[in-house]
Amino acid sequence: MTTRRNSLTLAIPVALIALLTIAALALAAGGGSESKLHVARRPAAFAWLHPTVVPAGWRTLRLPGSAATVSAPASWEAARSDAGTKTLVSRGPSGQIVGYLNATPRQGNERAASWASFRVAHNRHEGDREVRRLAAARDLRFRSATGSCVMDSYLTSSGNRYREIACLVAGRSATTVIVAAAPPSRWHGERSLLQRAVSAFTT
Amino acid sequence: MLIYAKRLAAMLAVAGLLGGGSTAVALASHHHHHHHTMSGIPQHNGGDHDSDNNGGPSDGDGNV
Repeated sequence: MTTRRNSLTLAIPVALIALLTIAALALAAGGGSESKLHVARRPAAFAWLHPTVVPAGWRTLRLPGSAATVSAPASWEAARSDAGTKTLVSRGPSGQIVGYLNATPRQGNERAASWASFRVAHNRHEGDREVRRLAAARDLRFRSATGSCVMDSYLTSSGNRYREIACLVAGRSATTVIVAAAPPSRWHGERSLLQRAVSAFTT
Repeated sequence: MLIYAKRLAAMLAVAGLLGGGSTAVALASHHHHHHHTMSGIPQHNGGDHDSDNNGGPSDGDGNV
């Protein structure tokens, strides 16, 4: 009788702790902030992303001290950007940016699991307004790499609207951010090219 | 003796579960401190295209 009572005394708290632990694990696995924001693994919004070789006639720039390369049509010009980064732009008749590609090494705090929220928060922190997250995904396949991507739009502090694809891509030797952007008014015309540039990105 | 053995086994099981739980705690708290490193690639105002510079798109840096 004493033995049964002792076993029962131990079994109840053990069962409670086990249940609480399992519940906490389930919450952490499925209830994180990214999960609530619907970061899909293979969403239709990124169905265009297929690792591909650089199209013929494109130019390729390699990031200094990195295996990462970003490519764009030969008509795109290299723009001055931060040390260690590469930027290619296409400009309209009046010099306005109509297409934009930038590759930047990971700075330290970007993480694949939280990339979408990181990028959107970063844009807001830079002073961008009306930042809208349009789609996000992770575990996307790149050329010899895996990436997390977000599509969003924003209005810069100087009044320019852009729509972007921003991906954090982890390769064998480097983790790099690729940003492909265009004004919303030019998105329809530039989208396919920007998507090919992202698909051809290596790191 | 058997009771003590059962108790020990149960306590080890709980410890194992709690050990796995620490990962969950780490995952859950991750989002509170992942924004905006201020180190890394130096920023400048020459075609960086951050919104605080030339009004172009935000580049891929994690800085402001």
